[in-house]
Amino acid sequence: MIRFSDFSRETIFLSRQPYVLIFLMIVLALSIFSVWSGIAETQAQQNTIESLLEKDNVDRAQALEKQSSYGSAAYYSFHLTYFPPSPLAFAAMGQRDIYPWKHRIRMLALEGQIYETDADNPELSFLGRFDFAFLISVLMPLFIILLLHDIRSSEREAGRFDLLIVTARNQHTLWTARALVLSIALMLVLLLPLFVGAAIMQASLSKTVLMALITLAHLLFWGAITITVGKLMAMRGQSSPRIASALLALWLTLAVIVPVVSDTAINKTVKSPNGGDLLLLQRETVNDAWDLPFSDTWDAFLSKHPDWAEHTQMESSFEWKWYYAFQQVGDQKTEDLSNAYRNAIAKKDTAAGVVAFFSPPMMTQRLMTSLADTDITASLGYEQRVRDFHQSLRYFYYPLLFNKSEFNLQVMDDLPRFLP
Amino acid sequence: MPDQVVAASSLCVKLAQNDVIDNLNFTIGRGEVFALLGGNGAGKSTTLKTFLGAVSPSSGTASVMGLSVDADINTIRSKVAYLPESVMLYGHLTGIENIEYFLSLAGIKQAQPEIEEALTKVSLQTDAWHKNLSHYSKGMRQKTAIALALLREAPVLLLDEPTSGLDPRAIDEFNQLITTLANSGSTIFMVTHDVYGACQVAHRIGLLDKGKIVGMFERKNNAHIDIEEVHAAFSQGKIK
Ligand SMILES: Nc1ncnc2c1ncn2[C@@H]1O[C@H](COP(=O)(O)OP(=O)(O)OP(=O)(O)O)[C@@H](O)[C@H]1O
Ligand SMILES: [Mg+2]
Repeated sequence: MIRFSDFSRETIFLSRQPYVLIFLMIVLALSIFSVWSGIAETQAQQNTIESLLEKDNVDRAQALEKQSSYGSAAYYSFHLTYFPPSPLAFAAMGQRDIYPWKHRIRMLALEGQIYETDADNPELSFLGRFDFAFLISVLMPLFIILLLHDIRSSEREAGRFDLLIVTARNQHTLWTARALVLSIALMLVLLLPLFVGAAIMQASLSKTVLMALITLAHLLFWGAITITVGKLMAMRGQSSPRIASALLALWLTLAVIVPVVSDTAINKTVKSPNGGDLLLLQRETVNDAWDLPFSDTWDAFLSKHPDWAEHTQMESSFEWKWYYAFQQVGDQKTEDLSNAYRNAIAKKDTAAGVVAFFSPPMMTQRLMTSLADTDITASLGYEQRVRDFHQSLRYFYYPLLFNKSEFNLQVMDDLPRFLP
Repeated sequence: MPDQVVAASSLCVKLAQNDVIDNLNFTIGRGEVFALLGGNGAGKSTTLKTFLGAVSPSSGTASVMGLSVDADINTIRSKVAYLPESVMLYGHLTGIENIEYFLSLAGIKQAQPEIEEALTKVSLQTDAWHKNLSHYSKGMRQKTAIALALLREAPVLLLDEPTSGLDPRAIDEFNQLITTLANSGSTIFMVTHDVYGACQVAHRIGLLDKGKIVGMFERKNNAHIDIEEVHAAFSQGKIK
């Protein structure tokens, strides 16, 4: 049994070792940096959303003032949709770096408005952003390996091993106490900035504690592996560098090779339509509609909205109801592709979730982004909210367009508003 | 000497397929000083380490105070103070801090005056006590480790070349210390190259060659073991 005296002795002892202190300071600095940069990015996103929101109402009011028909009102009024970062997003930016978290949309065909933003996303390295989740999932195993791999072997190499084990009341408590003190110190310098960051961002305590528990579980995994491998190899007389090499190879496998190879393999195996094809198909459908007989558009439109069948007669060669009808047909044409596209994303994500059982770093990252609402599920959820909102715009405008209502600015006060 | 405090019975040790210790049989009684003499690579350090459980017997038994090293090594270790062949302590701690650390590992609390008394006994100069061990010479480290062994207040001392690195005056003082300890009932098993020193303090001397005891010398009528006799055994080629 490990006693408190073992613990306090090793704490004092290790705190006297300059390299341990320097090491912990470096880790603390990295943790502070990761939290700080996460907060900075989160606040930048929040500020972007806020300033867009401010303009959103003003721009729309200005555009609407000049309109004399509901059709042009719909055409000229944009609506900001957005996905604000959760309070814990600073710790795990996850998919917010890859998937859009804001779209300005209007009542035109939707797919193009959703996917055109895909193009201007920055290429991110496979390692992703240096946030807390990256620090814990990818770098922390290295710290643990550095700190714990030579607990035994370094003493053997320094010639102190025999004296230590012969003197210690129980050699296992000695090694356990040292490993525990180092692990707890590591845990503290890693988690302190997280809790400070969570307090600044007013994240819920329970979620922050869960985040800390994920960190702890990941640390325990690597701690156990490092100590076991270190012990077995040291007992076979292997040197510290060899122990470190073996552990680094394991790290490389679990933290780099498995994620990268599985990502490539999943992308190869899960069939997904090309986002570009989707855009093209929609653009063509919408452009071609101008030259098609009206009846083609109406037939396709009425298959989804039979209730407007009595209102399709045209009084001129251009009417807004017809214009928006073929915009909707553009979405209908691409619906299958779009569903397949999203299904493929979800399927890839499910597959990655299975692979994560073989890669604790991947699992850690997934759990953290899930907790921070920055995972694929959250991004797809936002996309769905955009679709629902767009749908509500159609339900708002269609009666006004098909019933040929007189334009009244006051009616626009009832325009649906996007709620994140 | 009635009680057998340290006993080897048909003790064999293999290291990397080689017979390093080959059928050793001896006992050491309470209050006895036993010295094992032998050339480099004879197996002296290995024999000591076997009694500490740092090396396992391949056959036969090694026991301390009736406890076999295979069965109850933690109890044995609590009763044994060990001085390693090359003393390596923590360079970033002072001599006193090193002693305090190792004592607390053993679960022993000694007050500062006792530690200082032990350091005085081994004549480590006072100005070094609070210096980091990385500034110590080999002999100063040796003295620190001897002080640590004394402070363990263990009934059994296993000492691997305790006088190596000590200056002549310190060797003299050490030999007196050993005699005093033995007189007060400590059992001392030491391994050495120092024929003269061994003859001064040992009640019995075993000559070890290639893992076998090839000669045994004993005090007669309370007189020191005859150094000529022991030396002759070496030069006659019994020991290479
Ligand atoms: N870990 C080991 N693996 C293999 N052989 C070893 C090991 N340790 C010692 N030996 C061998 O065992 C033999 C005895 O070594 P030991 O250190 O016991 O000798 P010694 O009598 O103490 O010598 P010295 O006077 O030089 O200290 C030597 O031949 C040595 O090569
Ligand atoms: Mg030796």
